Amino acid sequence: MRRIQRLVACVMVAGAGALGSAMAAAVPPTIFAAASLEPALDQMAHEGALGTPAPRLVYAASSALARQIENGAPADLFISADERWMDDVARHDAIVPSTRIDLLGNALVLIAPPHSMSKVQIGQGPAPWLEALGREGHLAVALPDSVPAGIYAKQSLTKLGMWQVLQPRMAMTRDVRAALNFVVLGQCPLGIVYRSDAVSELRVKVLATFPAASHKPIVYPAAIVKGHDDDATRALLAALQAERARGVFRRWGFDVLAH
Amino acid sequence: MIELDLALRRGEFSLDLALQSPARALALFGPSGCGKTSTLLGIAGLLHPDRGRIAIDDRALFDSDANIDLPPAHRNLGVVFQDARLFPHLSVRDNLRYGMPHAAAKHAFDDVVHLLELSALLKRRSGQLSGGQIRRVAIGRALLRQPQALLLDEPLANLHREARAEVLEHLRGLKRGFALSTILVSHQPDEVIALADSVALIEDGRLAALQSAEAFRSSTAASGVPIAANACATG
Amino acid sequence: MLLTHAETVALVLSFKVSLVGVACSLPVAVGCAWLLARTRFFGKPLFEGLLLLPLILPPVVTGYVLLIVFGHHGAIGRWLDAAGLSVAFRWTGAALAAAVMAFPLLVVALRNAFESVDRKLENAAATLGAGPWRIFFGITLPLSARGLVAGLALAFARAFGEFGATITFVSSIPGQTRTLPIALYELISTPGGESGALRLTLVAVVIAVVASLIAALMLLRGVTREADA
Repeated sequence: MRRIQRLVACVMVAGAGALGSAMAAAVPPTIFAAASLEPALDQMAHEGALGTPAPRLVYAASSALARQIENGAPADLFISADERWMDDVARHDAIVPSTRIDLLGNALVLIAPPHSMSKVQIGQGPAPWLEALGREGHLAVALPDSVPAGIYAKQSLTKLGMWQVLQPRMAMTRDVRAALNFVVLGQCPLGIVYRSDAVSELRVKVLATFPAASHKPIVYPAAIVKGHDDDATRALLAALQAERARGVFRRWGFDVLAH
Repeated sequence: MIELDLALRRGEFSLDLALQSPARALALFGPSGCGKTSTLLGIAGLLHPDRGRIAIDDRALFDSDANIDLPPAHRNLGVVFQDARLFPHLSVRDNLRYGMPHAAAKHAFDDVVHLLELSALLKRRSGQLSGGQIRRVAIGRALLRQPQALLLDEPLANLHREARAEVLEHLRGLKRGFALSTILVSHQPDEVIALADSVALIEDGRLAALQSAEAFRSSTAASGVPIAANACATG
Repeated sequence: MLLTHAETVALVLSFKVSLVGVACSLPVAVGCAWLLARTRFFGKPLFEGLLLLPLILPPVVTGYVLLIVFGHHGAIGRWLDAAGLSVAFRWTGAALAAAVMAFPLLVVALRNAFESVDRKLENAAATLGAGPWRIFFGITLPLSARGLVAGLALAFARAFGEFGATITFVSSIPGQTRTLPIALYELISTPGGESGALRLTLVAVVIAVVASLIAALMLLRGVTREADA
């Protein structure tokens, strides 16, 4: 009698354990990532460089993601396109501060449609820009007060003394990929996006790169969201820094930051 | 001369009517649901017979063989509907004038208003009129179209006794004053006797008999009840 | 509670864009609503479905379609550009986006209004010699006036609140395409923009409430009158 009871108990425990780990394995971790990381992270997940099951990837402007996380969105990991929004989330006590790292770097570039004849350079004043824009054309830029790519663009253009002249000519977009799309579709003769956006897109060409000194360093911080600090998430963060991931990031135009 | 030859089938209901009458005023008499109103709507152009010919005074309104099917607006008929159908957003005056031809004589409007005693009502709207008044305005509106023929669908239906008498009297006056072809639909013998010269008895979507008003009066007087008062086979 | 200059510009622009958008949408909506209410033709359900598309598709998708068709080099855009009537990155483009997004609401409301008009009255008008246009303008339209006004109020509210299609099609350009909802979005996205966001939200709430009241008033009085009759 007792032996049978013990056997049944063992089976139940084993079964529960198997079920529990199966459930844990079945729920993939979620990464909230800045829109500009989409091609790189998608490729990594597809190739299995981020473990199995592949994480759920949610992309949007860092501002939108930050607000959602502050309001309890179910993200495990947050990768922001700038420090300001990560700081904002940290202020709201929504990340685990000890896990915060500077994951990636990027550069800001000026792009044009591939057939464009513009010879715009940076550092020669706004005249060539205005010539490239013509009478009706617009400069596609992400919203300069909220979207990181736009914030960096504003910093750069201000430092270069061109902000006042160019601001009335801007078509401001919801996120940096929308700005990229305007140039891809030939709607705007010029656009300001990340180097990572331009590298992968055959339908635009890079005219020039903004000097790194003209804006705050473009840093992509990553951190674990408070309440989601577990083995799976830590493993994911480690995978993002592993050699396989670093290779993919570089191919997509990001700088991989040393730790 | 009124020529009616129409065949129509709608689901269970079928109508197959053929008659010719030289009478000025023809009544279509029969119980409800026998096809009288459908016939009237067919003459007006609001219902499309499957085949047939409808002509008034040699003017064809519908002829399936000759491919003639005049739209209602071109049939030049004055229709008085059973539910009057006055336009609620227009005054009595505007309702009356709605179908008046541009070339109408100035006094035509005044004549009709006088005849139907509508002068006190001209500024009112249909919501402010009694049943009998509504009916009179509807008749006036149809008359002012200056049509080739007048179609009346149960003109005295649903009126209480005084209103019935009032409207009937006006209709008699019209008959005396206007030489207009009239087709009247009714299930009440007294209307028919008062207003028609010729009566077509309709039973079950078919013509049962065509008789003069005199003959009709005699037969109703004899039996004491309206002929063919039994309900039609199809409701 | 005073609005900043930028907020006022956005508010005025929104009124301009919404009024023009709804005004342009109206004749097309009237025509389509009349077809749906009064005619039968092959492919009618498909036609109806197409009209409702902007209601069902994500606004960003609609904005993208507008971009492809009416933007520079677009199928229709190129002709507009050549004629000097470009809508890309202009308030007219924002008005077009507003018109497209409000259109289904307008069609549905107008169709209901036309269907509520008793066809027997229209038939009576026909027997009195009125042609289809005279019937439409003299009978159908006046008798559906309440439904029309209610529909316009709701369509205006929808046009006023339009965001996704607008920002995707014509981006945000202060004074040209940065309507109130876009300005509101920007303020919410900016740390420290909360007070401005609150101001604009209050304005939006007032407009929504007024539009609802107008619509309810129109439809309610219509119902009461029927009950009396």
